[in-house]
This record gives sequence, C-alpha cells and structure tokens, in this order.
Amino acid sequence: MSASLDKGVRVLKEMIDAPIASYFSSCVHCGICAEACLFYTETGDPKYTPIHKLEPMRRIYEQEYTLLGRLAKRVGLSKAVTDAELAEWQELVYNSCTLCARCSAVCPVGNDIVYMVRKMREGMSAAGHSPEGIKGAVTRTINIGSPMGVKLPAVKAQMKHAEADYGIPIPLDQEGVEYLVTLSSMEIINFPEYLGAIAKIMRHVGKTWTLSSEAFEATNAGMQIGNSDLARVIVSRVVAGAEKLKVKTVISPECGHAYTALRWEGANLIGRPFTFKVQHIVEVLEEFRAAGLLKLEGMATDRLTFHDPCQLARRGGVIQPQRNLMKMVAKDFVEMPDAGFMNWCCGGGGGASSIEEGEELRLEAFKRKKRQLEAVKPDRLVTACANCRIVLEEGLEHYKMNLPVVGLTETIAEHIPDA
Amino acid sequence: MRITNDQEFKAALAALDNCSRRQATAYLIRQALDLTPDTRVRAGLDLAVRCDANEADLAVAASGVNSARVATYTQCGHDANWTCQASHFVARAAQECVKPEISASGAWEAAMQARMARICQAIAAGEGTSNREAEAQYRALEAYLNSKEGQP
Repeated sequence: MSASLDKGVRVLKEMIDAPIASYFSSCVHCGICAEACLFYTETGDPKYTPIHKLEPMRRIYEQEYTLLGRLAKRVGLSKAVTDAELAEWQELVYNSCTLCARCSAVCPVGNDIVYMVRKMREGMSAAGHSPEGIKGAVTRTINIGSPMGVKLPAVKAQMKHAEADYGIPIPLDQEGVEYLVTLSSMEIINFPEYLGAIAKIMRHVGKTWTLSSEAFEATNAGMQIGNSDLARVIVSRVVAGAEKLKVKTVISPECGHAYTALRWEGANLIGRPFTFKVQHIVEVLEEFRAAGLLKLEGMATDRLTFHDPCQLARRGGVIQPQRNLMKMVAKDFVEMPDAGFMNWCCGGGGGASSIEEGEELRLEAFKRKKRQLEAVKPDRLVTACANCRIVLEEGLEHYKMNLPVVGLTETIAEHIPDA
Repeated sequence: MRITNDQEFKAALAALDNCSRRQATAYLIRQALDLTPDTRVRAGLDLAVRCDANEADLAVAASGVNSARVATYTQCGHDANWTCQASHFVARAAQECVKPEISASGAWEAAMQARMARICQAIAAGEGTSNREAEAQYRALEAYLNSKEGQP
C-alpha cells in the first residue's frame, strides 16, 4: 500500500460519521438516484448511479463499522480498497458529479448522497486521486489566493474599467459600509460587467458598499476538491476582510459553490458564528425589490427563461426571488420543465468544468439542458452563476443552438434608468 | 471634429446611421486585432466595414465570431491566461459589429470590450491598469468621421 492510499483510506474512515453510517445502512438499492443524475440519464451507463460512486467508501464502512463486514474482512471474504480502485473511481466522484444534489432530493429514505460524495472527495483528495484541473486550482488558491490566479492588480484594472464604462466609482476597503461585495474569479476574468452592474444597482438603491483588497475572492476550491482545511482558509479570508471593514452583510457573487461555502458551511468551517450576514446577490436584489427600492424601466419583449444554479436553488433554497426579479423585466418569462428546486444542472458545477478530460462527458450530459430549452424555445437564457453561464454557452455552441446567455444582475442593471 | 472624452465619443457614435456606426465601430475594434490570432474575428470585422454586407453574410460571420468568443472563455478553476482573455474580449467586441443593427449602446459596448482586451494585455504584461485604448479610439473615430466629411 502506498503512503497516499494509507492516508486516503484513513481519511475515508474518519469521514464516516453518524449520518453517513445511517445512510449506508438504510440504502434500499432502489436505484431512484440514478434517474435523478444527468450523467446517468444522458449516457445510460449504470456506473454513474450516484450511490455506486460511493462504493469504495461503502466497503470501508462495512469492513470497519459493521460486525458482518469485520468478520468478512478477517476471513478474506471482503477485499480491501486498492489504489487502482480509487484511481478508477476518480472519474465517478469528480468528472461525473457536479454536487448538484438532485440525487439527495429524490432518495426515498432521505440519504444525502451529495454529502457523502463530498466526504468521499476528502478521502480521494488525501489519496492523491483528484483531477489535475482541480489540484491546480487548489495550488493557486493556496499560493495566490484565487483558484484562477487572479491578483489584486487585475481586480483594480477591472474596477477602473467598470468606473469608465458606468461612470460610477467602485469603492475599495471602505470601512463601516453596509455591504461587502465579493467576486468569483470567473466574474473578474470573464464578466467584468458584473462589477459595473453592482455599482449601478447600489447607486440606484442608495446603499453603501465596498470591495476588499484582502477578501475579493469568494470561490472556494477547497469545497470542490474535498479539502475542509482549505475551505476553512478561504472562508477565513472573507471573514477577516468583512470583520476588518465592519460590514453588516457580505454578498456572495453569482457563483454557486461560493454561496454554499460561505452561507451554509462557513460558520461551521471556522467554528464560530459570523458577525455579519451572508446573502447571495439574488437575495439582496430581492430585498431591494420587496422594499420598493428597485425602480426599473422598460420590459424585455423577447422570451426569457431562467436556469436555476443548483447551489442557489436546490441547496440554498433560493427559488422565488429570481422569479420575482425576472418578472420585473420580462414580459414573456417562461419556465423550463423541472425548473426551480428540481432543475437540471448545467453539467459543470462542483469543479467539473475545470476537468479537461471530462469535457466529452459534460457535453453528453448537456443534452438534458438542451431538451429543457427546446421545450420552451426562449430567445435568451438568464442565470445567476458565472460558471453555469460558461458551461451553458459551451453546450449551446457545441449543439449549434443560437441562444444568448446573460447574468441576472446585469439584466436587472440594464433596466435601471440612467442617473 | 475633436473627441476628448467618452461623452463626446458616445455622442459621435450615436449620431451615425446604422451602416456608418457599424463601419466606424468595426474600425475601432480592428485596432485591437493584434490581440487575437483568430481569423474568424478578423473576417467578421472585414465584413462589418462593408455597407453592402447582407444579413445572411452577417449571420454567417456572427456564428464564426461567436464560436471564437465561446472558445476563449477562461473556464472555472483554470489558470487565468490574460493574453488568451484579451482575444476573448476582441471577439466579444466584434460580435456587436456583425449584428444587422448596431445601436449606439451596442457600439459603446463594443468599444469597451476592445478596451477590456487591452487591459487584459496590460495585466498579462504586468503593466498595471494604464489603458491608452480609449485615446486611440477617439483618434480612430475622428479619422473615420473626417474621412466621411464631404462624402454624399
């Protein structure tokens, strides 16, 4: 056994907590989770059945924590998990799982399969069986502070650009303001208009806000690879930045896993409550709408639909706010089949889009989204996650579907009257 | 005509008819062509400067430019390659030029994407946030407008 396998198996043992033990013992092998997973439904390959992706971990559970399993192991009737087996499972645990949690939502006995996959990733990562793409993102996060290697000068350049484009100053390191706006690397690199849209909206509603030179990055590669220690470090940077600036609310960007990491797991990761509130930008916009602060003009007359990011809708429970916002700007808003809580993933979440060798499978899985879109024939597709946006665009391009994809925050900002 | 700031720049673009605006915007974006090796973007801009470009030709060009734009996105988790990203923003800028109708805001958007491309180049070179593309765009638009003067 190699040292890394030892470590991986040890971590997997440690990861098997009471919920996981009860999940394994209560699984009735019904296979319903398979029908919920787009990697299974679009390929028909049974290896993509979500619960099967956990097979090495299940064997360790059985061999270590059940009487029959221990006996079977002792008499040689149950084989140990091998390095080759974990290597084979890498594709199942990373490439073909976006942590979308559709499987958890349909499990009839309530097994949170995505929770188990994340714990499995901890062991896979410790064993050295995580994809190079995600490893690279983690290394950059440790060394630079951003999974995509974005440094403060790049953020400052984007700020300057947004200031010129929108004619609105972008505040940096302002103490005592209401909101700390965090960004994902994706927005800094690919969608600088997001920052300009935020500036326009904040001026319109009369709220104070700032970026932080120490906590501009919200993307959490630690969560994606399955490394709680790293996830904690990344969350701690945001917490330190927010507390230093004494803000009331930290706004998570249009990035699914950044939201889950900060909003739902952040306080547990750092082991204490936050001194501030965390909200996704969609939740903040909804508050502005409900308070009557968003006074928009004009309605889009083309047909719009909304792609729910899994971490926002299914994992975060934010479903109605984006619809309320869409109805403020769209005369013809249509819902795709399964929209909302049971929406289908874009196919690239949970770090999957950074795995180059997984591209072919991602495009195969995209057929589900293609069918959803074909059912309603929209003129534009709106979403609220920068990663979804690019994965959707790549899928649309691959299948030659001429459909613009836009961000919700920018869409709202476009309907704000010029000051 | 002298353009000294973005307000004047926007006003000058807004005053043009559709064909002239597309032509002028394409000339502006062409200045950033050194930032992309993609022939689809170049071909799109070559078509955009022609007032006789028909909708079918523009649609074909738009498809090529869109493919170039999507292909140059930096995917989540990948190391940012700002040189490649500059190419992405040139394609985004060109995309506005191959639409049948280019609005004043679309022309401004395209100009800003081209400036963004130049910013990416500056980031890649570690040159900070200085961006001289705006000034270059003012001069290019002046030259275009002057060349139009006296024409019927």
